[in-house]
Amino acid sequence: MEKNKTYNKRKIMIVAGVIFLCSILLCVRLSYLMVKRSQYYQKLALDLHQRERSIKAERGEIYDRNGVLIAANKPVCTISVIHSQIKDPNKVVKVLASELDLKEEEVRKKVEKVSSREKIKSNVEKEIGDKLREYDLAGVMIDEDYKRYYPYNELASKVIGFTGADNQGIVGLEVKYDKYLQGKPGSILTLTDARGVEIKNASEDRVEPQKGCSLYLSLDVNIQTYAQQAARKIYQTKEAKSVSMIIMNPQNGEIYAMVNWPEFDLNQPYTLMNETNQVYSSKKKQELLNQMWRNKCINDTYEPGSTFKMVTATAALEEGVVTKKDTFSCPGFRIVEDRRIRCHKTTGHGGETFEQGFMNSCNPVFMDVGARVGKEKMYENYKKLGLFKKTGIDLPGEANSIMHKLENIKAVELATMSFGQSIQITPIQLISAACTIVNGGKTITPHFGVKVVNEQTKEITTLTYEEKEHAIKKETSDQMKELLEAVVAKGGGSKAQIEGYRIGGKTATSQKLPRGNGKYISSFIGFAPANNPTVAALVLIDEPTGIYYGGTIAAPVIKEVYENILPYLGLEPEYKAGNEEKEE
Amino acid sequence: MAKTKKRKLFMKGEYFDYTTVFVILVLVCFGLVMIYSTSSYSAYIKFGDAAYFLKRQGTFALLGLACMFFVSRIDYHNYKKLTLIGYVVSVGLLLFVFLFGSEKLGAKRWIEIGPIQFQPSEIAKIVMIIFVAHMVSNCAAEIKKWKILLKVLFISAIVVGLIAMENLSTAIVTLAIVIVILFVASPKYGQFIGMGMIAAAGMGLFLALFPYRIERVKIWLAPEKYEKGFQTLQSLYAIGSGGIFGKGLGQSMQKMGFIPESHNDMIFSVICEELGLFGAICVIILFLVLIWRLMIIAANAKDLFGSLIVVGVMAHIATQVLVNIAVVTNTIPPTGVTLPFISYGGTSLVFLLIEMGIVLGVSRQIKLEQHP
Repeated sequence: MEKNKTYNKRKIMIVAGVIFLCSILLCVRLSYLMVKRSQYYQKLALDLHQRERSIKAERGEIYDRNGVLIAANKPVCTISVIHSQIKDPNKVVKVLASELDLKEEEVRKKVEKVSSREKIKSNVEKEIGDKLREYDLAGVMIDEDYKRYYPYNELASKVIGFTGADNQGIVGLEVKYDKYLQGKPGSILTLTDARGVEIKNASEDRVEPQKGCSLYLSLDVNIQTYAQQAARKIYQTKEAKSVSMIIMNPQNGEIYAMVNWPEFDLNQPYTLMNETNQVYSSKKKQELLNQMWRNKCINDTYEPGSTFKMVTATAALEEGVVTKKDTFSCPGFRIVEDRRIRCHKTTGHGGETFEQGFMNSCNPVFMDVGARVGKEKMYENYKKLGLFKKTGIDLPGEANSIMHKLENIKAVELATMSFGQSIQITPIQLISAACTIVNGGKTITPHFGVKVVNEQTKEITTLTYEEKEHAIKKETSDQMKELLEAVVAKGGGSKAQIEGYRIGGKTATSQKLPRGNGKYISSFIGFAPANNPTVAALVLIDEPTGIYYGGTIAAPVIKEVYENILPYLGLEPEYKAGNEEKEE
Repeated sequence: MAKTKKRKLFMKGEYFDYTTVFVILVLVCFGLVMIYSTSSYSAYIKFGDAAYFLKRQGTFALLGLACMFFVSRIDYHNYKKLTLIGYVVSVGLLLFVFLFGSEKLGAKRWIEIGPIQFQPSEIAKIVMIIFVAHMVSNCAAEIKKWKILLKVLFISAIVVGLIAMENLSTAIVTLAIVIVILFVASPKYGQFIGMGMIAAAGMGLFLALFPYRIERVKIWLAPEKYEKGFQTLQSLYAIGSGGIFGKGLGQSMQKMGFIPESHNDMIFSVICEELGLFGAICVIILFLVLIWRLMIIAANAKDLFGSLIVVGVMAHIATQVLVNIAVVTNTIPPTGVTLPFISYGGTSLVFLLIEMGIVLGVSRQIKLEQHP
């Protein structure tokens, strides 16, 4: 038997020595990694382990002028599945399909898809979410969320607007005030394992979301409701294409109501009205939806027609080229240059004062007056009344007026402009200009937003709007009020008379372009009380069938609305029935 | 004298190396703690039982320790009769696994007999230690001759080659064991320097012939740039984020599935993450204490055979420890070698403990009077 020799022992020492040496080298390597490179790897590892999950902020509510909630949030659930955590896929598919009313194949596809998280359905009612939670299915996540909810459905739909899947505003005030309403999303920083599953009990950094601010409007739910009912009624009886209405305070620009009938259901903004089971291409459907969401009061221009005579009259009075008692004659037409422009009364009004011409809405009178003012002075007055620029209303997509270039205006253009043809403005521009005319000469900015309230800090931001005093003379305004009151009391707007109230107004029957197609827009603009107006109202009936005269069909609509809202706004009748005769 | 005396199977010695036993027990227990720490999260997800891997490994540890104490009582000279049979059986098993073995993680390394699964390469390692020690101790005087040296190498190469078919890392470890035994037995140095040069040249040729290995080298040099460097990078994240004192036992983040099967080959990186540089060096020191004890036993063994067995075991443990740590620290290109006593793996642990039993058996026959 061989013994261990000395060289064997030496070699054992060498082997052990090499092992020790290697170990020391590895310790050096470890020290380098764990001391010098430690921070670098720690950061990389943290990036890998930490996930940021954002928490949606609840959107701010919208209230009307009396604090009535008109845009609220209701809790809903988002249902999703985490593939790696599902234990019983068949049961998950079955339960989800039946509870969420989905096709089994559709759910199965998502359940079987290898992904970290697959959304099954969002905006699920909270009750259904709670029910699903009771099944306690592994791998099914139910996340609470908020969905916009509009308690009044179609009330002022085109004004308020609605929100999209991410709670962002899509149309209307929801867009305009998005930055206030949105709030600040919070976040949770969590540690996750390699599959992306959060580790329980791991410390997490949480930043709470901040709820969006509440928005208070000048809109009044009751007035809007009255207006909407009146609009719907005339829409139905006249089988009109649409009916628009604006009711506002001419003193400060606050809008009480804005109707665009037919309105749509804000809780189902993607459902086309008059659904006829027709299947549209997605492009066509989007077009129809855009049409449905359109706010004609501000997005569309039209030829205002006779209501625009207010502007011509204001310009004439402002420039001092006419007085109420000046006399004119109307043979039923005027020859301007080579054209024969007719009055609506083809037999002519005969001899009449300016006041009578205004009451009769006589075109030849205004052609004469317009010519007296001249195109430069006319445009100066348009400008004073804000007709060249957008009103600045707090709604998206406002259109601007379409006017002739000053150098292109010849006698014919000036004549037609004088009674509201050959130019186009939006309804909101018309009523804003009219407000300036009747409120003593102050320009206002029509608006809905009154104040923004941060519910957490109780901080109130009052929204302010541009106003300009003395845009036109007070005397002009006073004379215009008298003229307008006379239109309702004795002239073409008599159908807007309400017993006990002093109402001013002007009717219009505009031909739609191209001229002579037999389509009209009947409108009426009214003020009450006529001597110091606090409620201005404009109604546009687009393409009424049958009788289409503004004085006949539009004036009664405003009368009906006024009968309801004047007492509601605390305006008592100034005189009793029977005294009327004496007044006259 | 030894020839005439009839050997008993069991024997009582004058010496027993308690230090070795103590170090082994510490390593095994520490291994169990780390296996629970690294595997509990994934075990709970996969099997619903956080202690799933701990229970299995614990069972094997008890079995292994029992085997160790039993084997330590066997007179190691009895193995001489078995070396040839062992060699043949190993070759047979390796051939069998190559042809019919069951696949795990894409490699055929396992033999299944009922509920028992084991890797023949684990048996082959022990067999090779004793077989080569026996062969070399019989011709120790002639080992300096190239002819004899190459003969031993050739006989060993058959087994190493068979292992290499399926598991290159184990083959390298086995080859290292054979070389170290030969190195210790031989009085020469030059031969081994020559072999080292040939090996280096062979390695270069190998890399040139198998480009997929070159890719491994590229990944090793810059693990951030390759998708396959993911595992290496995860290991570095774990080690780096440990810092000096670590995150604390059980606090590893990387074991949450970022390091795949972190209770296996990569367990050392989790040790670094949880226990820091301090803990990692403590573990290395534990292994060095074990190597030191093996060195003492080898140097003082009764005869060359015993000495070479212990040298083989020492080479086995040392290469695995060094290669494993070098891999997780990305010091050398990645290869799958487990950390002895600590990494999860039943057969591996049982056979390691049997090896330790053999070493303890060698230590029993140390004559104390030789070391006054």
